[in-house]
Amino acid sequence: MTAEGALLIAGGISWTVIVTLCAFGLGAALGVPICAMHVSRSRVLHGLAVVLIVILRSVPPIVWIFLLYFGIGSGWLSIGPVPAAIVALGVITAANMAEIYRGALKSIHPGQWDASHALGLSAWSEFKDVMVPQLFRVTLPSATTYLIGLLKDSAIASTIGVMEITYLAGYLASKQFGAALQIFAFAGALYILISLPLAAVARVADARLRAKVAQ
Amino acid sequence: MNGTFAFWAESLPALLSGMVVSLQVTAAVLVIGIPLGLVAALLVQSTVRPLRWLTLAVVEIGRGAPALILLQLAYYGLPSSGLQLSSMGSAIAALSWTTCAYTSEIIRAGLQAVPRGQSEAAMTLGLSRLDALRYVIVPQGMRVAAPALLGFAILMLQASSLCFAIALPELLSRAQLIGTTSFRYMEILLLAALLYAAICIPASLLVAAIERRLGQHAA
Amino acid sequence: MEQTAEARPIVEVSGLGKSFGAHRVLEGIDFSMRAGEVVAIIGPSGSGKSTLLRCLNQLEQHDEGVIDICGIRLQAGTPPPRKDMNDLRRSAGMVFQSFNLFPHMTVLRNISLPQERVLGRSRAQADERSRALLERVGLAAKADQYPARCSGGQQQRIAIARALALDPRIMLFDEPTSALDPEIGLEVLAVMQELAEAGMSMIVVTHEMHFAETVSDRVILMADGRILEEGPSAEVMRRPKAARARQFLQAVLNR
Repeated sequence: MTAEGALLIAGGISWTVIVTLCAFGLGAALGVPICAMHVSRSRVLHGLAVVLIVILRSVPPIVWIFLLYFGIGSGWLSIGPVPAAIVALGVITAANMAEIYRGALKSIHPGQWDASHALGLSAWSEFKDVMVPQLFRVTLPSATTYLIGLLKDSAIASTIGVMEITYLAGYLASKQFGAALQIFAFAGALYILISLPLAAVARVADARLRAKVAQ
Repeated sequence: MNGTFAFWAESLPALLSGMVVSLQVTAAVLVIGIPLGLVAALLVQSTVRPLRWLTLAVVEIGRGAPALILLQLAYYGLPSSGLQLSSMGSAIAALSWTTCAYTSEIIRAGLQAVPRGQSEAAMTLGLSRLDALRYVIVPQGMRVAAPALLGFAILMLQASSLCFAIALPELLSRAQLIGTTSFRYMEILLLAALLYAAICIPASLLVAAIERRLGQHAA
Repeated sequence: MEQTAEARPIVEVSGLGKSFGAHRVLEGIDFSMRAGEVVAIIGPSGSGKSTLLRCLNQLEQHDEGVIDICGIRLQAGTPPPRKDMNDLRRSAGMVFQSFNLFPHMTVLRNISLPQERVLGRSRAQADERSRALLERVGLAAKADQYPARCSGGQQQRIAIARALALDPRIMLFDEPTSALDPEIGLEVLAVMQELAEAGMSMIVVTHEMHFAETVSDRVILMADGRILEEGPSAEVMRRPKAARARQFLQAVLNR
C-alpha cells in the first residue's frame, strides 16, 4: 500500500463521520418520544414502544439497511445510499437510546421528583432545571459507548455503496491484491484512532460533570 | 399478497439452509471465542508485562476494529501472506477474535464481581493461585457473566449476517441472491428479517428470564 | 539458654508497623504467644486489631518488623519464599467475619476440596475427615446442602470445620461473631471454647468481652494502632492500668 492508497482510504473518514454523527443525532432525538411512549401509562403506547424496540433490536442492522435501500428503495421510494444508511442506523440508534434514557430515568432518585414538587416548580421548569442536567450526566457514559459502537457499525454502509473507509479499503484491495493485508489493517487502525478521542472526550466530560455534583 | 406467501414458501428452504450456516458460524465462534475471552481476561491482569501488553493489544484491536474489516482482513488479506482460508474459516477466525475481545471484558467484570473474601478464603486455605481461580473464582465469575455472555451470543448471531461480504452462504447472502434474481427484494428481505427475529426474540426473552432467576438466587 | 521446641513461642512479633498510604495503622507491636494459648485481641474500631491478625498470615504485608509464626520468619520488605508461604497457609487456619464459604459447592465439598488440593488426600479420605469435623461442630446433617441453606451461625461453624480440616497448628479468628445475632453467636463461641479446651493455639479478634475474659488465657487491648494493655485476661479486663483502656472497658463491660 502506498501513501497514495493510504490517503485514498483516509478520504473515507468524512463519510464515516457524517454517517455516524447524523445517525446518532437522528437516533438521540427519536429516542425521546419512543422512551416517552415506553414509560407512558397508556397500555397502547407502552405496548407499541415495546414491540418497536424489540423488533428493531432483534434484526441485524445490515438487514435493515438492505430493506431500506434495496427493498423500499427499489420500488416505492428512491433513496440514496447515504440517506438510507443514516435513516436505518438512526432508527436502530433510536431504539437503543430509548432504552438508555429509560435506564437513566429509573436511576434518578425518586426524592428528586418529590423535592421539586414541594418547592412548587412548574412541570417544565422541573424538567428543564432538575431532570435534564441529571439525565444528561447519567446517560453520557452509555451514550458515548454506544456512539463508539455506532462508529464501527457505520462500516456496514459500505455494502450499499457509501464511500466511507471500509468501502474505499475494499476498492483499493481489489486493485492491489498483494497489499490487501496492509490495506485492511490500515483501515482498522483508522477506526481505532478515530474512536480514541471520542473515548477521551467521554472520560473528561464524565469526570467534569461528576466534579460538579455532590455525591 | 398471495404472491408474497407463495414466494416465501418457495424461498424458505434456501433461507433455512442459510440460517443453518449462520447458526453454525455463531456456535463455532462462541465455542472458540469465549474460552479465549476467559484466557484474555486472566492474562490482561498478568504480572508478566509483555504478556499483558500483547493481550491488551489483541483485545483493543478486536473491540476497536469493525467486524466487517476483520472479516475482509481474514478473507482477502491473509492469502497475501500465505494463509488461504475458506469463507467459513475466515468468518470463524475473524469473529472469534471479535468474540474473544468483547467477552474478555464481560468476563473480567464477572471475575471482579466475586467478593474479595472468596479469594482470601482460598488463599488462607492454601489453595494455589491456579486452584483458587479454577475452583473458586472462575465458576462464580462466569455465573455473574452468564447473562451478558448470552446477550452477546445473540449479537454474534446478528453479526454472522456480515459474513455475506466474504461469500459465506449464510441467511442474508441467500436472501440477497434470491433478491437479485427475482427483483423481489422487499419480500425476501422481510422474510429474512422475520427469520432473524424468530430466533433472536425468544432468545432475548430467555436471557432476560435467566437473568431474573440468577438475580433471585444471589444474596 | 536453650529452649525446647515446646517452650519456643508459636508466634513472636517484634517491632511490627504498617501504614495504609499516609495513615499509620500499626505502630511498634511486640508480643509473643506459646503453643496452646488462647489470646483475645480487643479494642475500639480502627485500633488495628484485624490488620494485625491479617499481617500474621500475610493477607496484608507489614511494613516494618519481624513476625515469627510456626517457625516461619516473615521479614518486612522481603517477600517470603513460596515454600514458606505454603507452610504458613497450612499451619495457620483463618476464620472470617463474613464466613466466606464457597457458595457454589456443597458444605462437604467446601471442607474436602482444600484437603484434596493442598494436602493431597483422596476424595474418600477427605470426605471422611470432613464428616468427622462436621460431627464435631454439630452439623453432620448439613453435609450435602449448599451454604445458602444454612443459617449464619451454621455457616460460621462450617467455616471453622473447613479451616480445621487442614490440621493447622494455630487458628486465627477475625471477629467471628460480629456478623451474627448474639444468640446465634453463642453456638459459634461454644465451638471455639471446645477448640480451646482441646489445646488449640488461637488468636481471636473479638468484641465478645465475656469470651475474652473467660475462655482466653491472655488479652491484648489495642487502640490507635498500639498495644495498650497486655496480660492475663482477668487482670486486663478488670484491673487495666492505662486510662484509655479503662475508658474502653467501662464502655463495653456491664452494658
